[in-house]
Amino acid sequence: MQAIEQQGSAGQDGQIAKAAFEALPQRSILQNVSVRETAATIVVVLLLIGAMEVASWYVPDYIMPAPVAISRAMARLAATDYTHVLVTLARLAAALSFSLVVGVLLGLIMGVSPLLRPFIRSLVIIDTGIPALSWILLAVFWFKNPETRIFFILVMILVPFYTLSIYDGIRALPKDLVDMIESFRPSQLQTLRYLVIPHIVPYILLTTKSVIGYATRMVIFAELVASAVGVGSRMGLAQSTFHIDEVLAWTFFLVVLNITLQLLVTGIEKLVLGWRPEATVR
Amino acid sequence: MNAINPAELASAVRDPVISLQGVRKQFGSHRVIDNLSFDVREGELVTLLGRTGAGKTTVLNLIMGTTRPDAGGVTVAGYDPFRQFKQLKGRLAVSFQTDRLLPWRTAVENAELGLLILGEDRATAREKASQWLARVNLGGAEDKYPHELSGGMRQRVSLARALAVDPKLILLDESFSQLDHITSQGLRKDFCSVARDFGKTCLMVTHRIEDAIEMADRVIVLGQGAHIVLEMPLAAARCDEGLRNDCRSRIEAALGG
Repeated sequence: MQAIEQQGSAGQDGQIAKAAFEALPQRSILQNVSVRETAATIVVVLLLIGAMEVASWYVPDYIMPAPVAISRAMARLAATDYTHVLVTLARLAAALSFSLVVGVLLGLIMGVSPLLRPFIRSLVIIDTGIPALSWILLAVFWFKNPETRIFFILVMILVPFYTLSIYDGIRALPKDLVDMIESFRPSQLQTLRYLVIPHIVPYILLTTKSVIGYATRMVIFAELVASAVGVGSRMGLAQSTFHIDEVLAWTFFLVVLNITLQLLVTGIEKLVLGWRPEATVR
Repeated sequence: MNAINPAELASAVRDPVISLQGVRKQFGSHRVIDNLSFDVREGELVTLLGRTGAGKTTVLNLIMGTTRPDAGGVTVAGYDPFRQFKQLKGRLAVSFQTDRLLPWRTAVENAELGLLILGEDRATAREKASQWLARVNLGGAEDKYPHELSGGMRQRVSLARALAVDPKLILLDESFSQLDHITSQGLRKDFCSVARDFGKTCLMVTHRIEDAIEMADRVIVLGQGAHIVLEMPLAAARCDEGLRNDCRSRIEAALGG
């Protein structure tokens, strides 16, 4: 095999680009986290703690306990109720994973099958119109097992988010790229593997990022109504026994959990979508 | 121009890789192609030249098999490209006007795409793709993502992707027209060198006379309705400035400018 003669613009092109690559700064995920944003978050948290402290001076403990009392409750719950946290997290992980798989599959079917598309779309639109509360109440009537109830509630709420997002992703598939891959005469499976699935990954991650906070709230709500185990049920118990410090401790934990989950998804996003150039608008 | 060139004579007796016979295609009431016939023989580099709306892209789509003719026949490597779409797997590759690289794949991963679709194992595909990138002067840029490459480099990756599957026929759809003059010139030279070294049959669609004169063995100029208004050999013109100017004038006249 004969190499092409290196000359003219081609050689220069390569040299310039090589130099440009070497000059590119290597950024880690940690370096990407803005220092200013972190500082602002700390300031807001401190202000909120201060406000709670001041409020606790003027109202009884069962309305607003002092931050020290809340932190004591947190330490107590961390020692005794961590299994409830694990149960809640397991429920969230199971329902989110299942919803992701089913939602992505339904979205793919909607995207590639004009025959099935109207049926799935109708189902999804009807589902999105049903309030979360209706699913919770129906689940209590329909299922005896609390795990089934919670799983059912979360799946019914989360699947449409994934389905519609993936369908939108497939619709946004650039025709240029479809024509390009078609020119190699691939099988349907190869088109899915090399084009469609990599293209929808950002949509999956974006949807997960969007619904994770909502899913956490829903699992807590479902546990409050439909189960005796889990963070939601413990919050219900704390409320009924007038332990407002525990309610606030659980609330603080849920905020931290939500931020942690968001950071986790963002980390996965940066890892999986490392190929994406970061655009900045001035 | 009337002297018989031995290369042209040899080309004339080879089997046609592309054959269009009495092809007609219309969209609604608008007849885009009316009774078009031409052949492209093995190892030939033919340019299809025409103004915007002359039906060049439709001709290319017919050859690619993404659309079917209303009348007449199209064969590519002996197959009907529309009805026997899958039969042309590995026999035909296309280089488009824009690079059409997958943004989530590096240069080498883009270049190996066709090979993976053909069923090559990953290691062999990677090796071949790297070799082709080196051949188009992109050695060292294998692990760069498309957004890290210049327009010319991206187009080179696109050419490497098309060439890597070792196709019998390469279709070029205005592949050099979006690049600046110097980059385009370098790329044209590199492409012709590879195409001739490996005996590839090429059909290039373009609206740029310069592309045709510098690259093609033969030019077909299409007028409205894809009627052939001029067809002439160009191989000899590449080495003779006077002949080249004469060809340019004839093509300009045929294009009506």
